[in-house]
Amino acid sequence: MSEQIREQVSAFLDGELPDTETELLLKRLTRDGELRESFGRYALIGEALRGAGSQILTRGFASRVNLAIDGEPAHAPAHAHLTRESRWWRPIAGVTVAAGVAAVAIVALQQRAISPHLSAAIPLTAQNVPAPAAMKTAAPNQLPLQGGGGPREALSYTVPAASTDTPLAIAPARLTNYVFAHSKYSSGLGQRGLLADMLIEDEEPLPLPVQRAPQPAPTPDTRVAP
Amino acid sequence: MTQPRHVLAYWLFPCALVGALLSTIPQTARGADDPRVWLERMNKALATRNYDGTFFHISGGRVETMRIVHRVRSGRVTERLQSLDGSGREFVRANDELTCYLPDQHTVLVEPRQDRGPFLGSLPQFDATVSDFYRIEALPDTHILGRPARVIAVNPKDQFRFGYRLWLDEKTAMPLKTQLCDSHGQVIEQIFFARLDMPESIPDSDLAPTVHTDGMRWVRQGPSVDNASAALAAYRASQLPPGFRLTVQGAQTLGDASAPASHLVYSDGLATVSVFIEQSSSDSGVAAAPDSQAQAPMQGLARVGSGYAFSTVVQGHQVTAVGEVPAQTVEFIAHSVKIYSGAEIPHH
Repeated sequence: MSEQIREQVSAFLDGELPDTETELLLKRLTRDGELRESFGRYALIGEALRGAGSQILTRGFASRVNLAIDGEPAHAPAHAHLTRESRWWRPIAGVTVAAGVAAVAIVALQQRAISPHLSAAIPLTAQNVPAPAAMKTAAPNQLPLQGGGGPREALSYTVPAASTDTPLAIAPARLTNYVFAHSKYSSGLGQRGLLADMLIEDEEPLPLPVQRAPQPAPTPDTRVAP
Repeated sequence: MTQPRHVLAYWLFPCALVGALLSTIPQTARGADDPRVWLERMNKALATRNYDGTFFHISGGRVETMRIVHRVRSGRVTERLQSLDGSGREFVRANDELTCYLPDQHTVLVEPRQDRGPFLGSLPQFDATVSDFYRIEALPDTHILGRPARVIAVNPKDQFRFGYRLWLDEKTAMPLKTQLCDSHGQVIEQIFFARLDMPESIPDSDLAPTVHTDGMRWVRQGPSVDNASAALAAYRASQLPPGFRLTVQGAQTLGDASAPASHLVYSDGLATVSVFIEQSSSDSGVAAAPDSQAQAPMQGLARVGSGYAFSTVVQGHQVTAVGEVPAQTVEFIAHSVKIYSGAEIPHH
C-alpha cells in the first residue's frame, strides 16, 4: 500500500476523507483484494491505537476507582477533535492511553484486593451471577430447584473465562442449521451480523443446511410449497 | 417453528406497557439530545426511508464490501443486501420472504420471514427492562463522511452481552457507522458507509438480484409443524444470566434430523440466545454411520459471525446454545440446561 493510499485509508477511517476521494478509494477497495486485507488490518490497528475501547474502559475504571476512593466519579475526558494532521501522533497517544489503562487497572485490582467488603455494595451484575453447576463441580442436571423450578439468578459468582481455545467442536453443517434457525429470532443489529456473515465468501466451502427431503427445482415463479 | 406458546406475553406485555408509556412522552419532554430519542429516530429512518448505500463490514480483520438497497412503497418493504466481493451472494426480502442467493453453492434458499426488522438492524426501545442491563449514553458529536454525526453508545453492564456504538447522521439519523463491542469496549465487528443515497424512489431493477439462477437448486425452508417429543420439551435452562428470559418455545426440525428439536429462545430484550435440544442418535435407535459427523455427539465452542455456539450433552441429549453474545453466555446457558418433570417446567 502506497503512502498516499495509506493516508487516504487513515483519513477515511477517521471520517475525514473528502467525498470525492472517498468514491475513488471505494472503487479501489472493491477491486483490490490485497488492499482490502490491508484495510482490515489497518482498521483493527487504528481502533487499538486510538483506544476507542480503551477510552471507555479507562473512563469506567477511573470512575469506579474514584468512587471507591473519594466518592466522586472521574471526569470524562474532553473530546479532542482530531484533525487530519494530528493523525501522526496517534501511535504515541495510543501507547499513552494503554499505559494509563494499565495503571488504572492495577489501582482497581489493588483496591479490590484490600477491600473485599466492597463486593457487598456492588449491584447485581454478571459478576454476581451464579455459575451453572457444571462449571463448578456438579453436573448441570443435578442443580437444585429454586422457587418452583424457574431459572434463577444468584448471589456470588465470577464469570469463567471463555474457552476460546477450544477447537471447532460442532459439525459445520449442523452449525449452519443452528445459525439459520436462530437468525429468525435474533434481534436487529445481531441479526445483521449473522446475515452479513452468511454473505461473506467462505475461506472453505460453506456447508449448506441439510434438507429433510429432496425438493424439486422449480422456477422462481412456481416455487415449491412448504 | 410454529405454535410457539405465548411465553412472550409473560414478560413482553409489561415491557410493551412501559414502552408504550415511554412512547407517549413527547420527544421534547425527553429532550432532543436524549440518546433514546436518537435511537428511535434511527429505527424510524431504517424502517421507513428509501436508501441505497455501500458499506464496509469489518470483522476479525476481514473487510467485505456490501451494498444495501431498502425501499418502502405503499407500506411494503423490499430490501436487497449484496456482497460486492467474491462470493456474489445476495439476500432479498420481499413479500414476507427472505431469499438467499448463494451462487457459489448453486443454491437459492427461500424462507418465510414475517415482520422482521431491516437488514441493517434496529434496536428495540429502551424500556426499563433493557435499561437494567445496558447503559445508553451520548458521546461527543463528531463528523463522519464529512457530515455532522451524533454518537450513541449502548454499553452492556456485564460480560454476558455485547454493546453497540452508533454514529448517526445529524440530519437523517441514519447509522453511518456502527460498532459491536464487548463489555470492555473492544470492537468486535463494525460497518461503515462509504456511500449512502436516500432517493425519493428506487426502481425495481435496483432490487432485483443480479444472480443468474438458471440451473440452481431452489430450497424452500417451510415452517415446521412438528412438535418436539415430551422428553425434549421438558428441558429448560435452570440458570440464566441476569435479564434473560424465555421468550419463545417450540420445535423445529433441523436439517435431516429424524425428529424435531426443541427450540428455546432466551432474550434480555436486546440480545438473544437460541437453545436447541435434540434427540441423540442412541436415543432414536438410529445407528450413525461411522463417518457421519452429523450424528456424533458434539462438545465445545464455535464462532459464528459476531457470536458463538456452544454444544454439550445433557442426559444423552444434544444441547446447543447459539447467539450473538459472548462465548461465556452460550456456555453458561448450555451448561445450565436440565430436564424438568411436567409440573416443574418453568415458563419464563
